[in-house]
Amino acid sequence: MTNSKRLLAILLGLFLIIPGGLVAQDATQLDFTIWTFDVEQVQGYIDAFEETAPGVEVTLSDVDWGQYHDTLVAQFVAGTGPDVMYASDHWLQEWASAGWLVPLNTVFPAEAVEELTAGMFPYTLQGMSYNGEIYGLPYYSDPISFVYNTRLYEEAGITEPAEDWDDVLEHARAIKAAGLVQYPIGFGWSQDEPFSIEVVTAMLMSRGDEFFDENLNPTFVTAEGEPIMDSALAQHIIWVKTAVDEGLMDPESLTRDGVADGQSVMAGTQAYGMSRASGLAAWQDPATSGEAGNLAMIPIPGPTHETLGFVRFYAVTSKLAERDEAAQEAAWQFMQYFGGPGPDGSYPVVRQWALKWGLGFGPVPLYEDEQIREAFGVWGDVNLLEETAMTARARRLSPWYASWDVFTRAELQRAYLGQISAEEALVNIANSWNELRAEYEQG
Amino acid sequence: MSKGDVAHESGRGGVDLSAPLRAAAGSAVEDEATTTRRPAAVRGRLESFPYLALLPALIVISLLTIYPLIYSVDLALHKNVLTQPNRHPFVGLENFSEALGNPALHRSVARTAGFVVLTVGGSVFLGVPIALLLNEKFLGAKVLQVLILIPWAIPPVMAGIIWRWMFAGNVGVINGALYSLGLIDNYFSFFGNPATAPLTVAVALLWKDLPLAVILLLATLQVIPGELYDAAKIDGGGAWAQFRYITLPFLRPALTVVLIFQTIISFVTFDLIFAMTGGGPADATTFVAWYTYNEIFTNLNLGRGAALAFAIGAVTLVMAVFYFLALRSERLYTDK
Repeated sequence: MTNSKRLLAILLGLFLIIPGGLVAQDATQLDFTIWTFDVEQVQGYIDAFEETAPGVEVTLSDVDWGQYHDTLVAQFVAGTGPDVMYASDHWLQEWASAGWLVPLNTVFPAEAVEELTAGMFPYTLQGMSYNGEIYGLPYYSDPISFVYNTRLYEEAGITEPAEDWDDVLEHARAIKAAGLVQYPIGFGWSQDEPFSIEVVTAMLMSRGDEFFDENLNPTFVTAEGEPIMDSALAQHIIWVKTAVDEGLMDPESLTRDGVADGQSVMAGTQAYGMSRASGLAAWQDPATSGEAGNLAMIPIPGPTHETLGFVRFYAVTSKLAERDEAAQEAAWQFMQYFGGPGPDGSYPVVRQWALKWGLGFGPVPLYEDEQIREAFGVWGDVNLLEETAMTARARRLSPWYASWDVFTRAELQRAYLGQISAEEALVNIANSWNELRAEYEQG
Repeated sequence: MSKGDVAHESGRGGVDLSAPLRAAAGSAVEDEATTTRRPAAVRGRLESFPYLALLPALIVISLLTIYPLIYSVDLALHKNVLTQPNRHPFVGLENFSEALGNPALHRSVARTAGFVVLTVGGSVFLGVPIALLLNEKFLGAKVLQVLILIPWAIPPVMAGIIWRWMFAGNVGVINGALYSLGLIDNYFSFFGNPATAPLTVAVALLWKDLPLAVILLLATLQVIPGELYDAAKIDGGGAWAQFRYITLPFLRPALTVVLIFQTIISFVTFDLIFAMTGGGPADATTFVAWYTYNEIFTNLNLGRGAALAFAIGAVTLVMAVFYFLALRSERLYTDK
């Protein structure tokens, strides 16, 4: 190659490279962090979104679900947090009060936000709200549901499903006595499983109460701090301890996560399961479950049958709030695409999550979507799912909830195992709450 | 033959190591004499050179050790909860009193102490016989000496995952073996039982770290002069007497190292708990390192976490001092 040709090649190369570089520099970058779940699918949504939003580039990062809270807090403190991220109702108050998450109406058009969130299930909206302001659009939202194995019931000669928690114990005794399974009852309550406190809260709601009243005072101790033994929490602890003592509940429940618990349900080695309602989609899939077709969702046992609804949502951070208008506009497009109806009103991401994984959703009208009804109908009772979503309640949360939750998971286990009495557990759990509250309020 | 006799005997006939030292000292005196004859400016530069040479290392140490230490003191004396980023009032020793006065910490310390006793005891009572066995000449002994190191080379988290599967309830190989042998009718939940969960971690830790203890002990066994055993046999000493009066005194320094290292390793066990039990069930495996991790990274209370870290540091320092004193050479081969 002659020198002139070499020079020409270099110039041509520069001509091709520089404009690309300039385009890349002009693009608006958004950092998006999620917990690890179907990352490839999320990347697919991002690619599709970028086609609808020229000039916007989204960089995806994922963090393990179990480490998500701690990792994100460390990033917030270090000032390296994302622009847009997955968040959860039980972390919202902590993160919002620290100023790490911002209300949607501070960066996006307030009226449009209101319009987008108007048709949501009540628990979904409540879970994304703090101090009267909305902090996100739902990634998915689900009630906690109760599932039992119809085959085991039939083989044990039990004709009616459980109405309350005493029925569950009685039926479990019958199933065990028939030699069908070693442990009919099981949960995924390892101490690093954030779902565990949600399941417990749902169990309290089905008994007609929850951990805290509307003034955020514990419902299971008196104003003087004395344990209330007919409170929902006391009854719950006694119920679990009975199940443990009688060998009805799998001891592994205290050290395994929700996924491992689900595997026992799918293997038919457990008669009951509690999970997000959409979890039933996998449990009823013949490709993954040995008990597909034998699992039925029923209203959660208890006098009220009420259950907890939770929401995981797309939130925006203070980092985005400090960025320029172009970045905020890009984020608004992103939010509408991922958590809202998107440019064509088809709810491109929300709908796909529902169809692919059975994930619950926030917008009520999506229950009228024929495709969704048909997909949900394969694994569950669509009317019951809709009714449960309508009546599910968000729990009462606080900025110190996350710290209290960690303490409480271990304390409940001590009570379940009989290391401390139910009375002691109630007092300790209330004291922890009150101390954290005082610490927070003192500043 | 007493231990002292053996030790004294082994010290005879050694090379006079002080001669080279004396020669080096003489050379230094000569250099000093040369230096004093140099001009003052040159002498000043030469005198400051050692300090300049040390400066880069001092800077690195300051940045990596001294600054974090001072910062930790600052953290421990202030309220510092990550989720309250704008509130850091000075609280004096409150973090220490709160951290050290917490009943959960007391339970954790008690559990940790039991775990340390179990694993240190296991290291010694398993390590010595295995080292003695590997010191024997038999077919494949050399291969075994290499193979035994494999668990030690496996990262702790991997070891934890392996043992998590081994001890698992309905799919674990240990339950499978016990069931096949007819020892259990149904699977036993090792992790769900507060009595057996710490044992699973202890087994995993011993599996992982015992090889190091064995190799340390084996290295010592291999330098014990064979003549001593011959002499003992001639004197009518049996196997126990040989072990008691020859092997054990020689093993003392290695045993001391094993004891102290294993104590510290057990005391700060974290990875295995992370991979195997997550501190549960309840707080059955919430040992001190895990407790501190939770305080810092889950409760995000850096102030209290720093106070706890200082407490752990103090305990570790006491162990290190004990280690230093126990290993002083003049005490190793005597009955003192």
